Amino acid sequence: MDVYILSSCRITNDRLIADGKEVLTRNCEKGPAWLNTIYRALGIQYPKFFKMDNLAKVGFLAAEVVMHDTEIARDRENYAVVCLNSASSIDDDRAYQQTIASKELFFPSPAVFVYTLANIVTGEIAIRHNIFGESSFYVYENFSALRLYDSIKDVFNNPDMSAVIGGWVNYDEDCDVLMLRACRLSDPEKMLLSENNINNLYK
Amino acid sequence: MYILSDNIISPLGFSTAENFEAVCLGRSALRYYSDKFDLPEPFYASLIEEDRLNEAFGKLPVNHRRYTRLEMMSILSAYSAIMDSGIDAGADDVLFVFSTTKGNVELLDEENSFEKERVYLWRSAQIVAKFFGNDNEPVVVSNACISGCAAQIAAMNYLENHNYKYAVVIGAEVLSKFIVSGFQSFKALSPTLCKPFDKNRCGLNLGEAAATIVYAKEDDAVTVTENAVRLVGGAMHNDANHISAPSRTGEGLYRSLMQLCPHNIAFISAHGTATAYNDDMESVAINRAGLNRIPVTSLKGYFGHTLGAAGVVESIISCHALQNHIVLKTAGTEEVGTVNPINVCLANAEITELSFIKMMSGFGGSNAALLFTENKKID
Amino acid sequence: MEELILELKKEIIEVLNLDGMTPEEIDENAALFGDGLGLDSIDALELIVLMEKNYGIKLANAAEGRDIFRSVATMAKYVSEHRTK
Repeated sequence: MDVYILSSCRITNDRLIADGKEVLTRNCEKGPAWLNTIYRALGIQYPKFFKMDNLAKVGFLAAEVVMHDTEIARDRENYAVVCLNSASSIDDDRAYQQTIASKELFFPSPAVFVYTLANIVTGEIAIRHNIFGESSFYVYENFSALRLYDSIKDVFNNPDMSAVIGGWVNYDEDCDVLMLRACRLSDPEKMLLSENNINNLYK
Repeated sequence: MYILSDNIISPLGFSTAENFEAVCLGRSALRYYSDKFDLPEPFYASLIEEDRLNEAFGKLPVNHRRYTRLEMMSILSAYSAIMDSGIDAGADDVLFVFSTTKGNVELLDEENSFEKERVYLWRSAQIVAKFFGNDNEPVVVSNACISGCAAQIAAMNYLENHNYKYAVVIGAEVLSKFIVSGFQSFKALSPTLCKPFDKNRCGLNLGEAAATIVYAKEDDAVTVTENAVRLVGGAMHNDANHISAPSRTGEGLYRSLMQLCPHNIAFISAHGTATAYNDDMESVAINRAGLNRIPVTSLKGYFGHTLGAAGVVESIISCHALQNHIVLKTAGTEEVGTVNPINVCLANAEITELSFIKMMSGFGGSNAALLFTENKKID
Repeated sequence: MEELILELKKEIIEVLNLDGMTPEEIDENAALFGDGLGLDSIDALELIVLMEKNYGIKLANAAEGRDIFRSVATMAKYVSEHRTK
C-alpha cells in the first residue's frame, strides 16, 4: 500500500507556505497577531477561531490550508487527525498558570484551562472538518520526519482509513508547523509519503 | 500482544496485588482535602502520601539524580513491572510508551531547582527510560483522558509494525494546584464522593497514580502463562462535536465499540467519571452498540479519575478481574440513573466469558475502546 | 442600568473573544446561548468567572447560571441586585 501527500502547509514565525509555495510573509508582530493575519488572509468565517489558544489556532489554520481544495463533507468517516510536537500545550499552560498564580487574584479560567490539553487541536480540526476517525497526539523532543511518517502510516493499518490530516504542530514562543494531507491511493503523479519528502517540505 | 506483567502505584497500594485486593474488598482511596495545594475550595481526591513514596523510592538501586514526584512514581511502577516480566529493559527491541496529560506541570507554579525543560513531557519520559538504560526515544501519548488507552494502541502499532519485541507502557499523573483548580473552574468536581452512573451523580473526583504494563509481541517465542491476557484490538474515534462536551449521540465511542465487533463479552470497564454528561453519553453509546445487557463497571469510586494514568490503571484492574472470573462493583453508586438503561454492576459478581472492553472518552472529543481476551485453550 | 448593560456587553466581548463584535451589535434582550450569540458550555463557565471577578457574585454551577445568563438584560438585573463590588 502506498500513501501519497496530496497537500502540505508549512507555518513558521515568518512564512506561510502551501504545497511548497510561499503564499504569505509576516509583516506584523510575531505570535498571535501573525496567526490572526493568516486567518484573515485565508478568508475563513469561523468565529470559534478567536476562542482557541495559539496551538489550536496554528493547527487549525494549517489544516484549513491542506483541506482547501476538498469538498465540504457532512461526515468524514475515513479521515484521521494525528499531530506531534515537542512542547505539548506549554504556551497555554503558561497562560493558565497566570490565572492561578496570585492568591488575591485567583480566577482560574475554564476557557484557558481546556486548551491545556495538547490534543484539543486535533479535536478542533475534527470538528471543523467533520472527521470521525481517530484523533491522536504524540510528543517527541524534536521534529522527526521518521516519527511523523510512522505516525501517519500506522493510521492506515486500519483498512477503513483512507486519509489523514497529520503533522508537526509546535507552538512554544516560536511557531513551527508542517501539516500534511495524506491519502491511500495509487497516483505516481503525487508526492509519495516518505521520510525524505517530509524532510524536504519541512526545510 | 500479550501482557507479561503489570504494576499499579496508588494510595491503595504499590503493587497490582495490593490494589486489586483493596478494590475487591471495596476500599476507596478517595479522601476529603481542604487547604491542599493552597486552594480556596476543598475537594475529594485520591492522593499518594509523600513519605510513603519517598520511602519506597529510596529502596530502589541507587541513582544520584533528583526526580520529580511524577518521575518517582513512574520509575517505581515500571521497575516492579519490568522485574516481574524478566525482560532486559535496556535492550534495543524494548520501547517505552509514556502516557500523561500534564506531566510535571506543577513545576510552572513555583521556583524550583529543576532545569527549565523538565516541564516538557518528552523530558520526563526520557528520564524514566534512561533510568532503565533504554536509549530508544520514548513515545509520549498525550490524548487527554483517553491517553492510557491510546498509549496501549500505540504500543500495539509499534510491536506489530516496527522492530520492537516488548513495550513498557507507563501511565502517570500527579495532581497539583494547576489540575485541581482547572477542574474546579469547569465545575466538574463532585462535592461528595463520586457516584458513577447514579441518578444523583454530580461530578468526578480526581486521583493520582502510576501504572505499567509490559507487553510482548504475539509471534515472538515468548512464554506466557496459561491464563495470560492479550490486548486483541483497539479503536479510537472522534466525536467531531465539541472540545469539552461529550456527544449526545455517543458518536465517537459508539464507532469505537463497533470497530471492535465485540462478542462474548464478560463486562465493560467504562469510563464512568460520574459527571452528568459523560455517563449519559456512555449509556447511549452502549445501547447503540447493542451491549446494554452486558455488566458495566466504573473504577472511579476506588481511584478517582487518574487522567493520563486511568486507561492503564483500569485496564490492569479489569484484566485481573477477568482472570479471577469476577466483574467488580461500581463503588459509590446507589441508584442507577442514566438517559439510556444500562446494566451497571453494583456487587462483585462471577463471570464466565473470557473477554472485556475497556473504554474511555475525553476532552478534544476523543474516544477509545480496547478489547482484552484471556488466553484459554479450547478443548 | 444602561451603563451596566454597556459595561457587561464590553466585558462579554472581551472575555469570550467575540472578535470584531461591538456592544451595539449585541441586543441586550436576545438569547446569549443557542440561536442568539451562539455561546456554548465553556462560555457559560467563563461568564461564571466574570460574575465573581468583576462583581463578587459566586455561582455554584452552570445550572444556577442558566436563568441569569439568558440575556444581557437578565444578567444586568441580577448583577445590580446581588453585586458585592
